[in-house]
Amino acid sequence: MAIVEFKNVSRVYRNGEHEQRALDHVDLSLEEGQFIVILGPSGAGKSTLLNLLGGLDSPTEGTILVNGKDISTLTPNELAEYRAASVGFVFQSYNLIPTLTVIENVALVKEIAPNPLSSHDMLRAVGLEDHRHNFPSELSGGEQQRVSIARALAKNPHILLCDEPTGALDSETGVMVLKLLLSMARDMGKTIIIVTHNQNIAKMADTVIRVKNGKIKSCEKQDHPLAVEEVDW
Amino acid sequence: MLLKKLFRTLWHYKAQFISMVIMIALGVGVFLGFNIEWYSLDVSTREIYEATGFADFRIFSDSGFSEADLEKVLAIDGVEDATRYLSVNTAVKDDTDTIALTVSTNMKVSGIQLMEGEAYSDTDPEGIWLSDSYAAANGIHVGDSLTVSYKTITVSGKVKGLVKSSEYLICVPDETQMMPDYTSYGYAYISPVMLENAIPMLYRAVLGSSLYHQINVKSGLTKAQFVEKADKALGATRLILDKSETISWAEARGEVEEGITMGSILPVLFLAIAILTMVTTMHRITASEKTQIGTFKALGFKDRRILRHYSAYALIIGLMGSLLGIGIGYGLGRFILSPDGAMATYIDLPAWPLYAPAFTWIVIVLINVFLTVIGFLSVRKMLGGTAADALRPYVPKRVKHLWLEETKRFKSLSFSTKWNLRDCFRHKSRSFMTLFGIVGCMILLVGGMGMKDTMDSFLDTFYEQAINYRYRVNLDTENVSNEEAFALAEKLEGDWCAQRAVQIGDKGYSLEIYSITRDKVRFADADMKILTLSDDGAYICSRIARDFHLKAGDSITFSPYGGDEEITVPVIGVLDSMTKSIVMTAAFADRAGISYTVSTVFTDREDIPAGGSILNTQSKKSIMDSFDTFMDLMNKMIWLLVIAAIILGIVVLYNLGIMSYTERYREMATLKVVGFRDSRIGRLLIIQNMWLTVIGILIGIPAGVGVLQYLLTALASEYELKLVLGPATWLVSVLLTFGVSLAVGLMISRKNRTIDMVAALKTEE
Ligand SMILES: Nc1ncnc2c1ncn2[C@@H]1O[C@H](COP(=O)(O)OP(=O)(O)O)[C@@H](O)[C@H]1O
Ligand SMILES: [Mg+2]
Repeated sequence: MAIVEFKNVSRVYRNGEHEQRALDHVDLSLEEGQFIVILGPSGAGKSTLLNLLGGLDSPTEGTILVNGKDISTLTPNELAEYRAASVGFVFQSYNLIPTLTVIENVALVKEIAPNPLSSHDMLRAVGLEDHRHNFPSELSGGEQQRVSIARALAKNPHILLCDEPTGALDSETGVMVLKLLLSMARDMGKTIIIVTHNQNIAKMADTVIRVKNGKIKSCEKQDHPLAVEEVDW
Repeated sequence: MLLKKLFRTLWHYKAQFISMVIMIALGVGVFLGFNIEWYSLDVSTREIYEATGFADFRIFSDSGFSEADLEKVLAIDGVEDATRYLSVNTAVKDDTDTIALTVSTNMKVSGIQLMEGEAYSDTDPEGIWLSDSYAAANGIHVGDSLTVSYKTITVSGKVKGLVKSSEYLICVPDETQMMPDYTSYGYAYISPVMLENAIPMLYRAVLGSSLYHQINVKSGLTKAQFVEKADKALGATRLILDKSETISWAEARGEVEEGITMGSILPVLFLAIAILTMVTTMHRITASEKTQIGTFKALGFKDRRILRHYSAYALIIGLMGSLLGIGIGYGLGRFILSPDGAMATYIDLPAWPLYAPAFTWIVIVLINVFLTVIGFLSVRKMLGGTAADALRPYVPKRVKHLWLEETKRFKSLSFSTKWNLRDCFRHKSRSFMTLFGIVGCMILLVGGMGMKDTMDSFLDTFYEQAINYRYRVNLDTENVSNEEAFALAEKLEGDWCAQRAVQIGDKGYSLEIYSITRDKVRFADADMKILTLSDDGAYICSRIARDFHLKAGDSITFSPYGGDEEITVPVIGVLDSMTKSIVMTAAFADRAGISYTVSTVFTDREDIPAGGSILNTQSKKSIMDSFDTFMDLMNKMIWLLVIAAIILGIVVLYNLGIMSYTERYREMATLKVVGFRDSRIGRLLIIQNMWLTVIGILIGIPAGVGVLQYLLTALASEYELKLVLGPATWLVSVLLTFGVSLAVGLMISRKNRTIDMVAALKTEE
């Protein structure tokens, strides 16, 4: 069953006379529990796609169905609820609250998510239990991104959205973070949508979507995706 | 190019820009306004003292002074000029008004300033030079005729000029009347010739030259020197008062001193807040412009140009604020000092020009220099190091673990509490400024409304309660025997009082002897509680108690004027009183062998016989009415303070709130992405404001009471005021402060609806 369905979705930015079509009449259907990689050059509309799906932005035209529910017509409060319950976000920048400790940053989601997971377990899973009382500024970039992953998964969302999660990390740390992200999400059976430039990751994906100029160029299903261990990093 | 950038910066931070301009305008305005007030009053009163020859000393004699006496005084080494002087309260024909009929044989001393009509002539047989304020209040014009009478003597003449005189600068019949009431009391000058014509031959034969009870003297001598020389020259001990013992000098000086006191507190508060606002805001603005500053540097702009750019920004704010402030300052000055302004109902000046003391201009220039330096220093901090360093965005202080995080209680706090608590400590200057703004707001509200409560309670005790009679009947002490007075008091079912002038050391006071059987007059102790006079000794007013370090249980020695007799009596209590007086009951005075002549009868009865030994009658209503203008002024001032407090609160809190909002924008965007509702995030923002408000109010209450107490103590030279704060003051000041804070908080927290999550998170951390 399709967990995500884009029907004729457009997102247009208007800047005076100038009109920028970040997404141009996109139709898309994604299966539950799949690992989806989105590829495309800078400015293609990848982030826009993810933001629409994550309920951070609303389409100018078209409908977006998540679990059969139209999220394009929700009110701001309903959207907040949707984000709290259904999607986890990992961005290129870690977006942690600087005045909260690591454990508090993760535990934050308990305030809003309907069935959150234990923050301790999540921190243990990302290997940061010992740092739980540190502030984000006391951690390295890779560690901060791991906190961000723990927070996204602690919500126990249906879908995990990752927008260039390793973009700000050196390649070694980036690979480590990606491996962690993928193994955890797969173990938990989440639907993962990830925007990345890493070709290796694409080999592991169930589906690879290529975006260009706001349009879906291709959407290939890979029948035999490689496992994490099989990839030659 | 940079200039364009300057204006764009102004526009971009318009909320901050406007806040800073308003705060500086308020600071400069209040500073200038208060200083203009006392300084202009100082200059204008000195001018009229000078122009009308206000006397430095007044020598009194019941038997009057001859021309020979005047010659003797003029011969004293150190005396510049002198005059024989008469001022007597006369009744206006067909009216209940009183006019102080005044004659000065040498108008260079205790003279007049002509406002309208013809010049004074000392040989004019029928000219009256009338107080222009009295004339205006009673519809009298130049050319009208006027008749006044004193006992059997009637003086009729024509109003030839309208005048002002420094001798009547504060035109009240006696100290108990706080405010002038020109509808019923004024003064008029006539020539010595007209006075002599008016006095029947017979009188003059008997009295001779004794018409003039006073010699007024201009001299630079000290009081001690003058008293010694005058007594020697006149060959007798005379009652001599210096100018500080006159209402027209003491109260006007008091008003100036009051202005200086007020001018040293409120403006400092406003200026301090303005400068602190500027410091914090400039720092934030340059911090958030840090990468831009770095870009300029990387592009090859010299540090000096960049420094100049931001210094100019600060200077523009300073200049705009100062300009606006100068307007506010003069407006404030004009509000208090103008022909139909508040002060004019009290002090009778010919003109009300505004002058700003020179130092205020220096201070305003210094403020602008200081602000420019603030701008300079804030940007220099961001410029430090290489262009690459400057290009790196400004990183706020690292979060530190608070000592209290180790406590169990902290661990159990909700995340929003932790968040806010750490945020407060992380941005200490911002939190401190918020507190400061709220404390300032509270001080203004508690101080302003407390001042009114205090005045209200003061008036209530001293007038509404202490005056329990409807009429005060003043007797002609020279023509009435005590037996007649007792009979009159009995007939009118009233109480009575006798007054004597006495001296303690070389200072003049009044001895008041009361017989109170019908509760027509009441007294209040130092705590403003009504008490019943005991027959066991004398009461002194709190100012005598303070000046001579006396308390109940001590004894006090005084001597009646003009004699060497010394009377020592036990002090059994201290009274809060409008006059500097010693009070005792008639029973005690009789026992102590103190003689007296009844001068006043207090009654509720309307059927007061006219003429005879009765000089005039004053009603409680007319006394109370004279406070109307005063209370009006008071209320206006309170409104000004309340408005100032609200503006101050809104501007300071809004500015800081916007700052806090900008600084936490990214954090709020993150919370929003995670799935927090707008209202929840708004609450998070507002809660911090509310904490600081509560703390600010808790500090502001004692601070407000402290400032008010300081003001009252500083003003106590005029009259004793006991600090009173009504429940309404508590309630209104707390609720208003809270309300302002809440309203500003809501205004800002509503903004989080418009947070653009996508844009907020796109930017680099
Ligand atoms: N807020 C905005 N205003 C105008 N244009 C925008 C805005 N955000 C994105 N765009 C434009 O939309 C297009 C797609 O952007 P984005 O989805 O961020 O691309 P990417 O594939 O690099 O993530 C780009 O051309 C970008 O310039
Ligand atoms: Mg992108």
